[in-house]
Amino acid sequence: MSETFGAVVEQLSRIPGVRGAVIAEKDAGVAVVQELAEGVNGNALAALAASLFRRTAHAGRASGFGAVSLVQLEAAGGHLLAVEAGELVLVVVAEQGAQLGLIRLEAARAGKSLA
Amino acid sequence: MKNTAADIQRWSEEVARDPRSLAFLPLARAYRRQGLRDAAMQLCLRGLQAYPSHAEAHGLLAMLYLDAGDHERAADEWSMVLRVDADNFDALRGIGFCYLEQDRLSRARQSLERAALIRPSDPTVQEALRVLGTRQDLVAGGISGPATAGADDPWSGEAGPFSAAHVPSPTAPEAQPAADDTRGSGMTFTFEPVPEDSAAEPDAVPPAEPEQAPGGTGRTDDASAQHGTGVTGDPTRLFDEMMRDGPLLGALMVDAHGLVLAGRLAGGNAGDAELVGAVLCSAVDEAVRTVQHLGLGAWEGMLVETDEALLHIAPVAEGAAVVLAARLRTPPGWLLRLASQAADRAAAWVEAYA
Repeated sequence: MSETFGAVVEQLSRIPGVRGAVIAEKDAGVAVVQELAEGVNGNALAALAASLFRRTAHAGRASGFGAVSLVQLEAAGGHLLAVEAGELVLVVVAEQGAQLGLIRLEAARAGKSLA
Repeated sequence: MKNTAADIQRWSEEVARDPRSLAFLPLARAYRRQGLRDAAMQLCLRGLQAYPSHAEAHGLLAMLYLDAGDHERAADEWSMVLRVDADNFDALRGIGFCYLEQDRLSRARQSLERAALIRPSDPTVQEALRVLGTRQDLVAGGISGPATAGADDPWSGEAGPFSAAHVPSPTAPEAQPAADDTRGSGMTFTFEPVPEDSAAEPDAVPPAEPEQAPGGTGRTDDASAQHGTGVTGDPTRLFDEMMRDGPLLGALMVDAHGLVLAGRLAGGNAGDAELVGAVLCSAVDEAVRTVQHLGLGAWEGMLVETDEALLHIAPVAEGAAVVLAARLRTPPGWLLRLASQAADRAAAWVEAYA
């Protein structure tokens, strides 16, 4: 299984503009496997992204919009994607000018394969 | 509490040794008390680089900006405090006073009433609410304030480094409001939002000042402020043009507390809109915290895909956010562009009605 995880993050990391990918336990916020550019803190990324996903998922359900499958943060210095993968969450950090369409597609596909 | 020279020396050494040391905060407070505003500000700004969500540091920075007469930045910092701690009394009171000084009466009431819930017996908040009630009564009675400047910034009095005070003109008593001055009511309130060191703070009270909104904007009441903005009356219809065609299910503007300011859900009732606004905006703090900690810069928005909809939340101004809900399978790029338009529309609304 860990090989599958490793292959997923490696493939995502190869997309131009991606600074890193992490698979984290959704509830614990702990990184299971990660592939990150220098300067990206995998533990912090896993903890923060998992927490964001949990909070947003709760908000989505509570507001009647159903289960959340993807959260995409936009910021001045880049993007963060967190994709549902069963008990895991797949997290991708990308630069501002990255190919977001491709990243979203790949991340969604990978999230389904991990779930 | 007075700090000794030894305390200051110790904190200074700690900060020099470790730039991430939390000693920056007591040291900045001590500098502020000594009137070393620039040094205190530098410390706060540097500390906030290491701890972007440090509510006390944002609160102290707000006071430093206030000392410098920069009320907008002070209000911004208090907004940051409220993002981290929605029930922070000092921030609610501070931002409420700023709004009151700017005659943004609805927002002032919102903040001050929340502050009053937290500390019902605080005399400054009670006084401010009384002043607010007087002004709103006068506005309701059709008496509007001056439309141009000609008065000083009411925060710019010569308050000491630890307090800002506002003593409205005693020449305009509450019972006899002048037609060109809705705010002179003979009332007095004093603002001392750093209570932890209040014993060390002088009771500085600036001289009485003429009444006028900062910057001479002449904003006098919530209703008249809309003129000339192109933003029309019914707030629930703010985004209706966008919802007329296409897959949008609803558009809401909510404030920092998750209260709906404008917009609606298509086919839903007001209760649904309030629920969506409140619940979705509870995730905003988490989003802001995440981008700050990861060094991604300022938060600009959040796209959320669910089983039933595509949602977007984006900041507008003063802690407000716009929430868009679109049908499932709506192109995300389309929603992002629409979010930008909605943010512009919301910003104009804030400008007109705040």
